[in-house]
Amino acid sequence: MKQPVGHYAYESRDREFLQERIAEFEDQVKRRLSGALSEEEFKPLRLMNGIYLQVHAYMLRVAIPYGILDSRQLRKLAHVARRYDRGYGHFTTRQNIQFNWISLEDAPAILRDLAEADMHAIQTSGNCIRNITSDEYAGAARDELMDPRVHAEILRQWSTLHPEFTFLPRKFKIAISGSPEDRVAARFHDIGLLARPSENGPLFRVFVGGGLGRTPVVGQELFDSVPEAELLATLEATLRVYNAYGRRDNLYRARIKILVQTIGIEPFREAVKAELAKMDLSHYRLTPERVAAIRARFAAPELHAVDDADAVLAQHQKEDPAFARWMQSNTHPHFDEGYSIATVSLKTPGDIPGDVTAEQMDGLADIAERFAFSELRVTHLQNIVLGHVRKDQLYALWQGLKELNLAAPNIGLAGDIVSCPGLDYCTLANARSLPLARKLGARFGDARLQEEIGALSINISGCINACGHHHAGHIGILGVDKRGSEFYQILLGGQAGDRASIGAILGPALSEDDAVAAIARMIDHYLAHRNEQESFLEMVTRLGKAPFKEVAYETV
Amino acid sequence: MKRLSHLSPNECVLLTAARLLDGRIVWRGRDGQWFDHVAQAACLTAEESEAALEEASTQAARQGVMGVYPVVARKGEPPQPVSMKEHIRAFGPTVHPEFSYVPQSEASS
Repeated sequence: MKQPVGHYAYESRDREFLQERIAEFEDQVKRRLSGALSEEEFKPLRLMNGIYLQVHAYMLRVAIPYGILDSRQLRKLAHVARRYDRGYGHFTTRQNIQFNWISLEDAPAILRDLAEADMHAIQTSGNCIRNITSDEYAGAARDELMDPRVHAEILRQWSTLHPEFTFLPRKFKIAISGSPEDRVAARFHDIGLLARPSENGPLFRVFVGGGLGRTPVVGQELFDSVPEAELLATLEATLRVYNAYGRRDNLYRARIKILVQTIGIEPFREAVKAELAKMDLSHYRLTPERVAAIRARFAAPELHAVDDADAVLAQHQKEDPAFARWMQSNTHPHFDEGYSIATVSLKTPGDIPGDVTAEQMDGLADIAERFAFSELRVTHLQNIVLGHVRKDQLYALWQGLKELNLAAPNIGLAGDIVSCPGLDYCTLANARSLPLARKLGARFGDARLQEEIGALSINISGCINACGHHHAGHIGILGVDKRGSEFYQILLGGQAGDRASIGAILGPALSEDDAVAAIARMIDHYLAHRNEQESFLEMVTRLGKAPFKEVAYETV
Repeated sequence: MKRLSHLSPNECVLLTAARLLDGRIVWRGRDGQWFDHVAQAACLTAEESEAALEEASTQAARQGVMGVYPVVARKGEPPQPVSMKEHIRAFGPTVHPEFSYVPQSEASS
């Protein structure tokens, strides 16, 4: 089979291992169903294979390494949705996909089907290193400093089944970007890596101790310039310090961010250096040959731009204003002048953010095959990116997306809402997030209005665990439970990226309808009082939260 | 969850669990059997629910269910769980009417 563009590659031993693992799990499932294993005994085993027990059924979370899929894999996910679920999949803020209606007795068969397409659900749960996430524009963006997929793949191989880090104090999330602007929320990860090239090879800026959840913290710089050869040793030393000193007696104080906050970044850095001094660095050294072998898997596709691509594109935009609007919001400059990066919004107004039907998955797989070298990237903002699309073919691509009802022109705008599944599906949630997301999506669904409002992120979480990244939204919404009723706390001024900051709570929690109305008034206030070219976030930064609070609560 | 000792006259206690095989929500009927629909759940007094819970927990593994616990509901046909979480468990996710466990007309609380 022709290897897809920019993709990890399994070897025969990987496939053999997966089959052995599935057989082992199948036996565990049989023993659970026969009663030989209690739920208490079985729970850690199913979680190690990505199976959660949620509100209505078992949920399966499938790993999508650094968000990259090929058409074959997306069709396999569509098959799982159609055959074993209720025709849907939900893309998550960790670039994975979840199926909400799984039967335990089907789980081994699903894992076997996924393995046929080199996919699994290992390390999508539990206190281990989770899926490595990366920049959705990797290997394609004009502004990229370095393709992060090469080292994301190295980290995937290093962290998969790492025996020393299978039982950490708590889960551990790593993100890597090679862009001058942090597109992966590196400072909100346990470890965030920003890669850049230098005369002497790649260098990595390492952030540690970031995270959202119950205790939101912006990560701190651990090292400014780790050379490529020392990358794995540095990560291993960092995890060893965490593994040794991270708390195991209190679930809510067990993440590395608490350790770093407790002892301070300087003592933490010294502990990592001390650990490094004890290690045989040659054992971890990434040699140029090893890196080159992996880089070969991420070579750029053979691009064949046509001479008049820009003219053809300009003509299409002139003839169809709706397409022109989509181009404005949903594309990003490609390193090749004849190509573009296209983002497919999974936030059709009124629909559930991140949800995709089996038919849409199959349709997207076809589109990727036709226009984008069969390659797709799931973003941590719950959209899909097609990395390499010829400019003269963008109009045909957009028409294909329209047929799938996936052509919303709202990337980075008010309708591009990030949301966790909330109380409708999640046992941890205190309130529903999806109905609110749908209401806000519909309220701001008009493309012209979104264009007028400009850059605005609205992030919604149904509980304090913050899977919807509400602390990092320009407007964040947190669902809370007040004596059995749902209320929503509004946060203001959060952002990921280079100037990562945590949103400030605006005031008392509101009912769902009041929260929607309050947000609408805040946006109206912004539109009425902004300076020229001033974004919503810039105005919040300039004026603080007071004027927004005033309008938000004026009729409550 | 609302305390069982603070039930109002129009409230009762239901017993619920998850089915081992597929994780689906089930409700305990008067005869001790488990049903898919909340309409078939036994509406118990707080005193009745204590004994029923003990019995159901003992029998759970044999009956292929897990995680048995009590839920406060308003009496009715069908009973309406008081908390939003239990309401969603009883009637299905609110964002997909096609996945509802009972007709929408019965799901409104």
